[in-house]
Amino acid sequence: MNAGAAPAQFQSPVNLMETKKTAPNLDSLVQALIEGERDESLAIVAALVSGGMPSLDIITGGIERAMAALDRKCTAEQFNLLEIMLAGRAVMAVIRHLFPTDAALPTARASVVVAVMEGDIHDIGKAILKILLAGNRFRVVDGGKDVSVTTVIDAAAQSGASAICVSGLISSVIPQVRALRPALFHAGLGHVRVLAGGAALKQCTAAALNVDYVGQTAFDAVAYLNQVMEACHGER
Amino acid sequence: MESVERVRRTMAFMPCDRPPVIAQVFAHAALACGRSVDEYLSSGAVAAACQLEAQAHYQYDAVFAVLDLTLEAEAIGAKTQSRPGLYPAVIQPPCSPDDDFARLTIPNPRTAGRLPMVLEMARRLRGACRDRSLVVGLVQGPMTLAVQFLGMEKALLLATDDPERFTKLLDYAAGVGMAFGLAQLEAGAHLVLVFDPAASSEVVPPGLFREMIGPRLARLFAAFTQAGGMGNWLHISGRTDAILPRYAALGANIANFDYCVDPRKLLTSLGSERLCLDGNVKPLSFVVDTPPDIERESVQLLRLFDRRGGFILSPGCEIPPESREANVAAMVRAALDWKRPDLR
Repeated sequence: MNAGAAPAQFQSPVNLMETKKTAPNLDSLVQALIEGERDESLAIVAALVSGGMPSLDIITGGIERAMAALDRKCTAEQFNLLEIMLAGRAVMAVIRHLFPTDAALPTARASVVVAVMEGDIHDIGKAILKILLAGNRFRVVDGGKDVSVTTVIDAAAQSGASAICVSGLISSVIPQVRALRPALFHAGLGHVRVLAGGAALKQCTAAALNVDYVGQTAFDAVAYLNQVMEACHGER
Repeated sequence: MESVERVRRTMAFMPCDRPPVIAQVFAHAALACGRSVDEYLSSGAVAAACQLEAQAHYQYDAVFAVLDLTLEAEAIGAKTQSRPGLYPAVIQPPCSPDDDFARLTIPNPRTAGRLPMVLEMARRLRGACRDRSLVVGLVQGPMTLAVQFLGMEKALLLATDDPERFTKLLDYAAGVGMAFGLAQLEAGAHLVLVFDPAASSEVVPPGLFREMIGPRLARLFAAFTQAGGMGNWLHISGRTDAILPRYAALGANIANFDYCVDPRKLLTSLGSERLCLDGNVKPLSFVVDTPPDIERESVQLLRLFDRRGGFILSPGCEIPPESREANVAAMVRAALDWKRPDLR
């Protein structure tokens, strides 16, 4: 079995894209990424690059479209962590192939701090969010897991972040999540958006957590940030 | 009617004096009787005493021989981290993807790590409850143990990259759970709840559940039934719409459904399947909402399942330790008062 291939019998019966696997092109790259086919994705990208396609076109026409297709799948409640992880692994492999050093990365749209608050060490949600944010050209600052409010605020200040995303699997982190916004104001960072998600936090309303947004999935968080970028910076 | 009989009849879709109500109260039991989470986790005797005191206070139908969810991984060498007032967590999984899973040793529940504390808890609870209140044991399901043994990311990637080796890991995990569950039954648990949140459709595709996880769950349930368990309770939190209708065929008698599962759609998908259900008050509601909110949600559930039967009122998952006591009491009261005409 290919290293990146999801076992065929476990794949969702839903066709996300009607694309057939033919000659390497952006459509076939999108399909390979959605299916989590890391090796096939890399082979397609290598062919596209050798054919003269600019790296940024591969990002916007391949990775970002694959992310959008996964988002649609997620909205249809067909999201599962395994498939997203496989797609994420393929996406990150392609990004690393195109931009072997961070310095060569295309200009980031904004910086986002991702973190898991003190007392919680479950960071798989954070790992998924990092991949989705990177695939949408956000600069991701990993604030770590089991970290204090102060650590998160410092990371936001040092990176000039536009948003903080916190993931929480256990409900005991709720008081810390509620403390983020007052701490941001205190630090003169009241403009920084605060997003929450994860198994425990997603059961709360944004008002109850004193945050700007609560996402049911990592995709929701990215969609919210995309909307913010459009509204604040006129992005499309 | 005693609680054990009430649950037994509900599992069999027979009439009862009232619907059973079971609160998945673990460390909250300590806080409800003025002790700390740390005290609860430190001793099977203390934990059993907390369970009994909380049950006497709330009047729900079951007590749990449960400490925390790191026991199995810890027993085979995981490093865990403990913080005051919190459940411990695995910080270093005990296995690596390169291990020969077929050669790993299954820990003896009577001697390994803190597993004997749970057996002591089950013995004490059964000694105190006899056949009045239901004594529920708990083991983690094969997928959840596999994730704990390797770490989430490595386990999921192994499932994809090397399914054959992954099934060996699942077999080992099921073996660990089976030994622990059988020991709990022998110690006095009426039945064993198999908790497998990593088998949720939010984590793995339904096909993987069907092909890889389901057969191991069936093996567990068959063993527990053969050992005299009163029933098999499968608890997979999160989204389970696509897999829950398969539980009965695996040997489950009670199926938990979480807050994110629409009970009406669940009833439709189950059709005439006589699978006892429990759920699905939102767990965090016990922390952030009010007693009228909880009571309203509970009554709605009782109304919905009244005609069908085979329903145990419960939260969708564990009641968080820091929950408000009045909220837990409100859920229980809804079931205790169910015969009141104004509620029906």
